Amino acid sequence: MSEERAEGLSAKFHLAILPECTVYNGHFPGDPVCPGVCNIETIKECAILLAGEQLRYSAIRQCRLTALATPTVCPEVDVQIVLSPAANGYGVQATISDEKQTYMILKGQLDKA
Amino acid sequence: MTTSRAISKIEELIPQRSPIMMVDELLEVVGDECTCRLVVREDNFFLEEDGMMAEPGVIEHIAQSASAFAGYRAVADGATEPPVGYIGEVKNFRLNRRPRLGDVLDTTICMGATVGGVTIITGTTLAGQETIAETQMKIFVRED
Repeated sequence: MSEERAEGLSAKFHLAILPECTVYNGHFPGDPVCPGVCNIETIKECAILLAGEQLRYSAIRQCRLTALATPTVCPEVDVQIVLSPAANGYGVQATISDEKQTYMILKGQLDKA
Repeated sequence: MTTSRAISKIEELIPQRSPIMMVDELLEVVGDECTCRLVVREDNFFLEEDGMMAEPGVIEHIAQSASAFAGYRAVADGATEPPVGYIGEVKNFRLNRRPRLGDVLDTTICMGATVGGVTIITGTTLAGQETIAETQMKIFVRED
């Protein structure tokens, strides 16, 4: 994983999707597809690295899964994150994409844990 | 209108398998609503070190509850394999607290219209009388 920080609380992370992850044993047998919720978790974990503190989702206003992500289709992806200070933590806007397409667009609320 | 209990083995209704099976049973189907149950156990894929479930696990549980409902309908129509569905959109997800080890989660799914292979659902997850989470989703069902 690599990380490029921009001004303020925004950053782009570059990460590899590992085909040996055990989740693919069950999602789905013989047909590995990245669970959308794992990409939602990935965005949170990148946001935690960016903010430097523990965060949890309290709300997701909208999360669009715009293309099917698999370890074969997108072995590496970029996670672009913008955090905006909010009452209990941060508003988060994020996309997961590669040079070919966008896989996820998320707007939500991450509270300080 | 259909009402039934202890409907089928969950493996007959959803395509997900270990380690990411997030529904134990489909408890009841009444018209366009169903209720599914998950007990949060130590081997839950989304359980964190503090004994609480990571938030995306709740979304997956709601999505798989909708998947079980779709599977129930497909089996009733003669399908031999549960349909494979994907989350297309999560909207207005609100989480009041993370589920904890031992919680019994009962999730009610209300199945809305299906247009162009996309079904709109709403899901509400309770632990006892306490509302844990609510959301809307769009689910795509893969046409093989």
